[in-house]
Amino acid sequence: MSDTACIEVAGLCVAYGDTVAVDRIAFSIQQGELATLLGPSGCGKTTTLRAIAGLEDPTTGLIRLNGDSVYDSALRVNVPAEKRGLSMVFQSYAIWPHMTVAENVAYGLKVRRRPRAEIDKEVRRALDLVQMSGFADRPASKLSGGQQQRVAVARAVAFSPSVLLFDEPLSNLDAKLRAEMRVELRELQQRLGITSVYVTHDQEEALAISDHVIVMNKGRIEQIDAPEALYNRPASLFVADFVGAANLIEGKVRQTGLVSVFETQGGQFLRVATPQGASGSETKVALRSAYIVLQADPSGAENANFATGTIHRRMFHGDFIQYVVDWPAGQLMVRRPPTEMIAEGALVSIMFSPEHCVLLSG
Amino acid sequence: MWLVLLPCAALVLYPVLFIVSESLNVGEPGVFPPEAISLANFAGLKDDATIIGHTLFVAIAATAMAVIFGFALAWILTRTNIPGGNRFERLMELPYYMTPLVGAMAWGVLAGPKTGLLNQIWHLLVGPEDLFNIYSAWGIAWVMALFEGTVAFVMISAAMKSMDPSLEESARVLGGGKLRTALGITLPLVAPGVLSAIVFVFAEMLGAFAAAFVLGIPGRYYVVTTAIWESTQEFPPNYGRAAALGLSLFIAMTVTLSIARLIMRKGSYATITGKAFRPRPINVGAMRWLYLAFVLFYLLVAVILPIGALLMTSFQKFATVVLPDSIFTLENYRVALSTGTLGSAFVNSLILGISVATIGVLVMGVLTWIVYRSRLPGRTAIEYVLMFPQAVPRLVFGLGLLWAWINIPIPIYGTLWLLGIAYFTVFLPLGLRTLAGVVLQVDRSLEECACVCGAGWLHRMRTVSLPLLRPGIAAAWLLIFIASIRELGASLFLMSPQSKVVSPAIINAWLSSSSELSAAMAMILTATIFVAVIVLFGVARTFTRAEA
Repeated sequence: MSDTACIEVAGLCVAYGDTVAVDRIAFSIQQGELATLLGPSGCGKTTTLRAIAGLEDPTTGLIRLNGDSVYDSALRVNVPAEKRGLSMVFQSYAIWPHMTVAENVAYGLKVRRRPRAEIDKEVRRALDLVQMSGFADRPASKLSGGQQQRVAVARAVAFSPSVLLFDEPLSNLDAKLRAEMRVELRELQQRLGITSVYVTHDQEEALAISDHVIVMNKGRIEQIDAPEALYNRPASLFVADFVGAANLIEGKVRQTGLVSVFETQGGQFLRVATPQGASGSETKVALRSAYIVLQADPSGAENANFATGTIHRRMFHGDFIQYVVDWPAGQLMVRRPPTEMIAEGALVSIMFSPEHCVLLSG
Repeated sequence: MWLVLLPCAALVLYPVLFIVSESLNVGEPGVFPPEAISLANFAGLKDDATIIGHTLFVAIAATAMAVIFGFALAWILTRTNIPGGNRFERLMELPYYMTPLVGAMAWGVLAGPKTGLLNQIWHLLVGPEDLFNIYSAWGIAWVMALFEGTVAFVMISAAMKSMDPSLEESARVLGGGKLRTALGITLPLVAPGVLSAIVFVFAEMLGAFAAAFVLGIPGRYYVVTTAIWESTQEFPPNYGRAAALGLSLFIAMTVTLSIARLIMRKGSYATITGKAFRPRPINVGAMRWLYLAFVLFYLLVAVILPIGALLMTSFQKFATVVLPDSIFTLENYRVALSTGTLGSAFVNSLILGISVATIGVLVMGVLTWIVYRSRLPGRTAIEYVLMFPQAVPRLVFGLGLLWAWINIPIPIYGTLWLLGIAYFTVFLPLGLRTLAGVVLQVDRSLEECACVCGAGWLHRMRTVSLPLLRPGIAAAWLLIFIASIRELGASLFLMSPQSKVVSPAIINAWLSSSSELSAAMAMILTATIFVAVIVLFGVARTFTRAEA
């Protein structure tokens, strides 16, 4: 593990009786980075986060913060949550209704017995950061969901923790506010340079705000990668399906090489870029619906996969258009900008580059 | 943790052991372990067939009346637009707080043969025949239904409120008429709740004591609970019969309560959540005046008439409705409060109420936390043990405690200590249920967040948990206080001339001296309880406001 790793998790298991929620996972997060734990509900992402916080007792494994073990089953180390010095934003916000906004934010500072003047200064700074300075004396029970969210963030950063944990912090907000808060959270995290772990089931959110995404499924890690890499080169069927909108085309590999040839069930031959080579036993090609070009007048292009099809259904989403295209290998989902309107029933040429095809087995 | 758990489990299970042992004892009564063991006591129960018949008759009649009242009132108050609306809901709980003992005495004053106030009016207006005789099986059932049956209303209206109104609305939108929706959607959805309420109330009625005691003993109409009392008062006391009857009653109640729980669990649909909804009231048009009249009639017979009768009687020298003949006096209250009779009992009850509530809330708070918040293995079993006294009739439990503590070489028999221990034990389920409701309402993440912020356990308790729980804790304190003040079943066996408490003292006065004097005593008890109830409702209101 690297020297600059701020959070290190190794061989971590969490079990409740016979159910294993987290199964031997390992990852490390660098200083100042934001890493996201992404996965469907029940995949163990929140359990992992709570284990880092010290709110959940693992069965075995190792957790290090800034080089110090806070949990180590071999050495029987288990530092209680309040001594780990990290901070957390809860899904329910956990704003204490019997205190004012300022009292909520000051809590971590008061616990640390900071001088009065410093507490006032830090509370003001934290509330400024989330643009809630005007609300300091408001009873916390009189806040809207979005305001509670901001107060929860201010409270979490007020005592300048070295690590910040987010447990699905935006899942209770409406779509527009969620998109705004996403930007704000990312800016705040980068400005303060706080190492952060962020839990979400929203793949779009994960891709948008993370330095690294850790995709989890059934208690295990499927892939750890930067957002672009995760989107372009999913390592497994699960990742291809869960992250982004992908077509999974079934068939057989006919020829391997730097560019392999794949025969779809409809008898279509596709060229798939495989710079790392291919085993030949793969049975699926994953193809992002955003990477497919549709043209109303069929004309081929060099190096590209080319086919003709018919527009089966067009759905206008505003920011994009979702097409369902009938083609020899079945149906393709294609996502195009709203400027590219093609009528339902029209004949189209379908093009996509071999680089955008990913061979997968299973 | 075990330091708290084990003594509490012992408190609950130890007396039960003695009831079992005594029911098998055919040697010298009250000796533990028994000198000779056989099932003779149980075999003897066949002579008590009449008593069992009486018990079943009274319980079934009382359940039927209680459920008819409860269902009608719950439906009217939660589903229709009657004038006054939900302001009546709280008033419906008053009969419960008035206690069956006070209710039975009040109805004794109202509808006793010849002298009953209602009968007196009837004599004046119509003729010499009595209109009612409350000292009868139907009279006992009537009083039980009014004053023990409140739980039917509470349970049924909870079932009606827990149904998502959109389930009905979607049926209406899909073209189902009002009646079709009521029969096809509403009824099946509330049926499990109503059914389990019926069975639950029936179990309560089997173990009810006060009404059967006040109204049954004069006419020698015995049910199981009063028969248990009777056999302990004989000379020599027939403890074997009492224990066998008590154990049978306990088994019958346990089985019935399990059936109620089973119906609730198996029958309730996933769509019915713990969430409370306020269903859209049905516009019942002119019928709402009829419904309002029904609600007012219930309040009249369950609250206004009983309290009015007791109040009037308590200020008179001889109870009469012919006001010109009446001699008004404060003498009854003076006698009641003088040290000899009720005064010392009243002081004792207050001491017990305050100390049991205070210690109870502390210990039960810890127990609640262990059962509902910790990850201690076997906490479900612990919950089961602590909830156990719920299924044991108070009277039987009191008997078990009596034998248990007589056989222990700690000289607390005849002191308030024994009563305190008994109250604590029998109120475990009440306290646990109330506090659990409070603890579960406070989201766990509120405490976890304080933890992550760096606050240790003590600091967390002081700044977050306790302030959030305070109103709920106050409510639990008041409920235990009220329950202690009014306690009758367990106290009957455990009090001694040196440790009198209010309810048994009132019963003694009722049996041995004038109804005017006991009316004054009942009024003092009722007034004390009502003050506590008003504070309780106030606390509950601030609690719901803080949540919103």
